[in-house]
Amino acid sequence: MKSLLFWILSACLGAVVGVISALFMAGLLSVGPKIGGTVDVGGWTSDWSIGSESANPYVRARVARHGLLALRKEEAVYFTKSTDQSGNPLRETCVYRVEGSRLPATWWSITLYDSQSRLPMNTDRKLSFDKTKAEVTFGGDVAWLFDVRPSAINNEMPWVSSRGADEFDLTLRLYRPRADLLDDPVSVLDPPRITRLSCDGDDE
Amino acid sequence: MRRLVAFLLFIIAAIGGHALTLHLVPSVIMDTAQSRLADQGLPLHQWAASPRMTPQTQTIVRPSPDLSYSVCRFDVRDGPVLISAPGWDGYGSLSIFDDRTNNVFVANLDGENAEVLILPLSDKDALITPDLADKERVLIAEGLGLALIRRVAPDAQLHEAAVSLIDQSTCKVIRQY
Repeated sequence: MKSLLFWILSACLGAVVGVISALFMAGLLSVGPKIGGTVDVGGWTSDWSIGSESANPYVRARVARHGLLALRKEEAVYFTKSTDQSGNPLRETCVYRVEGSRLPATWWSITLYDSQSRLPMNTDRKLSFDKTKAEVTFGGDVAWLFDVRPSAINNEMPWVSSRGADEFDLTLRLYRPRADLLDDPVSVLDPPRITRLSCDGDDE
Repeated sequence: MRRLVAFLLFIIAAIGGHALTLHLVPSVIMDTAQSRLADQGLPLHQWAASPRMTPQTQTIVRPSPDLSYSVCRFDVRDGPVLISAPGWDGYGSLSIFDDRTNNVFVANLDGENAEVLILPLSDKDALITPDLADKERVLIAEGLGLALIRRVAPDAQLHEAAVSLIDQSTCKVIRQY
């Protein structure tokens, strides 16, 4: 009887270890490895596993959790950056200029999210900048720029509001990206540059 | 001997638990998503549009304020399901996800309509009426799935226009089992 209990306990312990190790390996716990491809283009990072078909069960489990209902990569890819060109975290108390050139996609947008991955709680209606706005403002999307700031100023410069965001990041979405971007994102993507113009206490 | 058996049982159970967990995670996540949509009042085989994503209406992390979303839950255990969506002046797509979160179908809606017939693997040779014979077909292994329409609609007017297209979209069982 004692042996039977010992064996049942061993099996139960083994099952628990198996479950936890699977969740850990698939990156479903708060800590753990990230199996799959991360792409970094000038500090703009993307999880290249999301939106692709993978036979790896760890990648499949992680993508199911973190990329649920995500578009295939042929439909859209996402890049996120949370620091400026100097490597400092993006903060609500600073003003930034974001500049870019033509992006290899049918349509694109850049959206600001707070550290909780939420749209910042403000009513400025300046949540993102996109290709349509670039074309309207600059007569095309060959070269464009906009500011990220916590409040409007009286000029014509398009802007995205960081009011209420505290620390934040910017997410670049590229819809229907060109095939060569999917093949070689590091060479093909000219990443937008985020330059800090001023911070609270500086002379703007 | 007693310890050796215990060790073997530990290893076998660990490997089994590990493999089973990895296999079940996608299904459990999709079941949860289906349940949440059902709890929010979305019945099967009916399109519903999400409100425009703003800081005040956001219900998911990293919502895109530039997109209009419409979703339909379907169940092929009730019969083959016909799904269609009208085209859009700008980026748009119709995506179908199976019960393991796999994106089994995607169609371009940029200026063109999309239509697809969803069949269960168990009835892949279903007798379809002549008017549906030329429709593109997608086979899925199990019952429940999700159809999702995305359209670029960066302002309120475009979002309203995208929502109004629901009346021209289809998500219905075409023949009850």
